[in-house]
Amino acid sequence: MTTAEQNLRPVAVTRPRFSWDAIVQWLVVIVTALLVIFPAWPIILQSFMSKPLYEKDRAFTFANYTNLLGNARFWDVLVYTAAFAVVTTILAVIIGIVLAVIINRTNIPLRNLYSNLVTIPYYVSPLVLAFAWMQMYGPQGFGTILVRTLKLPIWQLYSFGGIVIVSAMYYVPYTFLYASSSLALADPQLESAARIGGASPFRTILKVTIPLLRPAITYSALLTLVSSFELLSIPLVLGNSVGIDTLATYLYTIGVVGVNKDQGAVAAVAVLVVILVTGLVFLQSKLVSMERRFVTVGGKATRPKALDLGPWKGLVSFFVGLYVLLGILLPLGCIVLTSFVPFLSPFMNPLKMLTLGNYQGIFNSPAYRQSVVNSINISIFAAAIGIVFMAVAALIAYRSTFKYRNVVKYMALYPRAFPGIIVGIGFLWAFLLVPGLGSLRNTIIAISVAFIMRYLPLGFSAVSPAVLQVSDELDRAGRVAGATWLGTIRHILLPILRPALVSGYILLAISFLKEYATALFLVAEGSRVIGTTMLELWKQGGAEPVAALSTIQMAITAVLIIAARKLLGVKLHE
Amino acid sequence: MSNDLIIEGLTKQFASSNSVAIADVNLIVKEGQFTTLLGPSGCGKSTTLNCVAGLEQPTAGTIRVGDFVMTDTARDLILPPEQRHLGMVFQSYALWPHMKVFDNVAFALKLQKRPSDEIKKRVQESLALVGLEELADRYPFQLSGGQQQRVALARAVVSRPKVLLLDEPLSNLDAKIRENARVWLRDLQQQLGITTVYVTHDQSEAFAMSDMIAVMSMGKLQQYAPPEEIYERPANRFVAEFIGVTSFITGILQRVEGKKATLKLASGELLNIRKESQSDYVWKEGEHTAAAIRSERVEVLPESAPSRENTVKAHIATRTYLGSKWQYTVETSGGSLRLESTDAIQGDNLSMYLPPDSIILLAN
Repeated sequence: MTTAEQNLRPVAVTRPRFSWDAIVQWLVVIVTALLVIFPAWPIILQSFMSKPLYEKDRAFTFANYTNLLGNARFWDVLVYTAAFAVVTTILAVIIGIVLAVIINRTNIPLRNLYSNLVTIPYYVSPLVLAFAWMQMYGPQGFGTILVRTLKLPIWQLYSFGGIVIVSAMYYVPYTFLYASSSLALADPQLESAARIGGASPFRTILKVTIPLLRPAITYSALLTLVSSFELLSIPLVLGNSVGIDTLATYLYTIGVVGVNKDQGAVAAVAVLVVILVTGLVFLQSKLVSMERRFVTVGGKATRPKALDLGPWKGLVSFFVGLYVLLGILLPLGCIVLTSFVPFLSPFMNPLKMLTLGNYQGIFNSPAYRQSVVNSINISIFAAAIGIVFMAVAALIAYRSTFKYRNVVKYMALYPRAFPGIIVGIGFLWAFLLVPGLGSLRNTIIAISVAFIMRYLPLGFSAVSPAVLQVSDELDRAGRVAGATWLGTIRHILLPILRPALVSGYILLAISFLKEYATALFLVAEGSRVIGTTMLELWKQGGAEPVAALSTIQMAITAVLIIAARKLLGVKLHE
Repeated sequence: MSNDLIIEGLTKQFASSNSVAIADVNLIVKEGQFTTLLGPSGCGKSTTLNCVAGLEQPTAGTIRVGDFVMTDTARDLILPPEQRHLGMVFQSYALWPHMKVFDNVAFALKLQKRPSDEIKKRVQESLALVGLEELADRYPFQLSGGQQQRVALARAVVSRPKVLLLDEPLSNLDAKIRENARVWLRDLQQQLGITTVYVTHDQSEAFAMSDMIAVMSMGKLQQYAPPEEIYERPANRFVAEFIGVTSFITGILQRVEGKKATLKLASGELLNIRKESQSDYVWKEGEHTAAAIRSERVEVLPESAPSRENTVKAHIATRTYLGSKWQYTVETSGGSLRLESTDAIQGDNLSMYLPPDSIILLAN
């Protein structure tokens, strides 16, 4: 073309102006990768070493693995853990699905109240739940003694069955929440079509509603399986006195409590557990992507008609109420009550002995007071730093042209495969080995960093759906209007994402508040948190101070949830 | 130096698959001209626009406005979108929901750190231009679709860009508003005299507004010409088929000389044609070929009409009533043709007159 030729004379070129975009993107990638690699390398290294990493004459060896795999105790524990995780998952998923369908799709009385109450364990630390059940249904528990006095048959909470039931109680909300949101999104026309085709309401639920929940069931079942596999608190609190061990308590026993701490063995167990959990997480992502075919987001505003249970609705409501009362309200009520009395017994009227003595005991002890203050500080500040970091990571992963954006995504999600206790071991060794970092252990910085790493996947997945929902034309428009990538994030994306960030922040704050497993190894004189102090007090046999700390933790959590709901109008789950 | 938008050798290859999004696109949009990139979805028109905006990175090519080079892969230069000084209107309008209309429009000026009285004045001018100065204090969700589209336009032109990019801005409007918006948008573009690149898959939009139309398909530029030429002299079979309602009639070429030729159908009927086309293809006698004809150019004659030049006999295969007209599919010895008529044709057979200057010979 002639015009093109005329225009083909050389022209001066303006180079792109400097911008912080690439620097911030690189920084986030590097920090994310470091957060994952930093705790992982000493564990992997240690697992192949004959002596602790700080000793000079250590040598390369496979002995840690061969010893472990030849150890009958390890295999017992592994089998026991697998059985525990599988049975817990089955129980939790069945209860979760039944509750979700009853509460969301039938007309039983009090269903709105129940839908809030059944999610309570989601916000409570499993450690607190274990203590609560112990206080209520343990051998010396309030309820147990009451039943025994009435000469009724008695149960044994400190058993496989007891541990499974309490753990299932803890995980029911996972399935319940996923199934409920899936029910809310499902296209009601699918149910209507079944009714018009001649199916009875009950048959419709069985043949259409529940099968449509398959993605939610698969997802929450695998989530429950992965987390129960690494669950420490409930097996520890309820199984310790009768010699029950799961992989997590086994690690805790040989690593924290054991007289001759065998670091090589601890590392080998940790590596094997991470490999196992990685496998489960991989399976989870595969199965979930295969389940896409069941996704039926209709976005229809019409809600399906609730199934009329007729004369049965009172009875069904009664059983749901019984579940909530016996499983959640009584144990938690019991632990709150315990915190306000010198000791709790069915033979003495607790209301006549009310005291604040347990709380005074906590706050008069500098160490215990400090653990509460530390927990609050970590919840407020570390969670704030964490959520901003995770949000920027999510924006790089989904909203940038950065070369390594996929690295950010995988790295941010990978800590799912790291049980809290192993994250703690890894960070402990890393902080001790890197010169100059050891002193950080005595501050909450070390624990905060470990918590942020542990909850990277949670924060990342809490923010990501919101990021993906915002049309990318909004940030493109910002770029064309003259804003850099960072400017677009600051002026456009972050303000739009504010509700998601706030709910992500509250979720992270609650998780940091109730986290204990990650802190167990890492904790030092100056960095106690509520969870580690509770376990310390429990080992000393002090039920009442433990109850007081549990109550404090629940009270702070309640404040956070109420603040999120009332003041900010934010829901913590979809 | 003029401020033409010049795109040369623009190619985008996807790293993952070996497929090409756009291949060697060359385009010059004269200063002040309205050019439309027209094509079916996936043809590369949006990729081309996004490469101009800097929102996507081409694997090869240069893009510049006059002397201002925005992309030159040979010199490893791809300016980020924010340094290109362009205006752009998106399909969804992309108004920022947390900002009032005023702040949406003022955003670019605020980033440039203009004094606040200047910002106020220019935002008001921009809003006045689109007739929405009273709505400055509204939030986007309080506006109708048409109003949002106008705000998006005001926002795109407020910083006085040299080039305006429009990515299917009318496709989300109701059919009736859309026709008004077309006229309005074209008037506004003329008034501002701004170089404009418009992307659409809607040919009536393209014809109503453009100075030039670039028809794209499978990542390639098929024809770049003024609307009349695109319609009257499509460069190839794709353009002929894509634009308007076109039929093809096949036969054997005879008497090719200069700009004239004759097509002999299987039945022996002869069609005189002009063989104008943009292609360099050289036609040969005896060649089997298909010629294009616009269905509205076909004249329907009574079956009994006396035979004259360029009449062809046909048999009606289907008839569809469209309200304002009838549409027929008819079988001829040169294949099936679609034609339109305001009359309901009686009987199953008819004669057609195909005007010589409306039959277009296309390169094989």
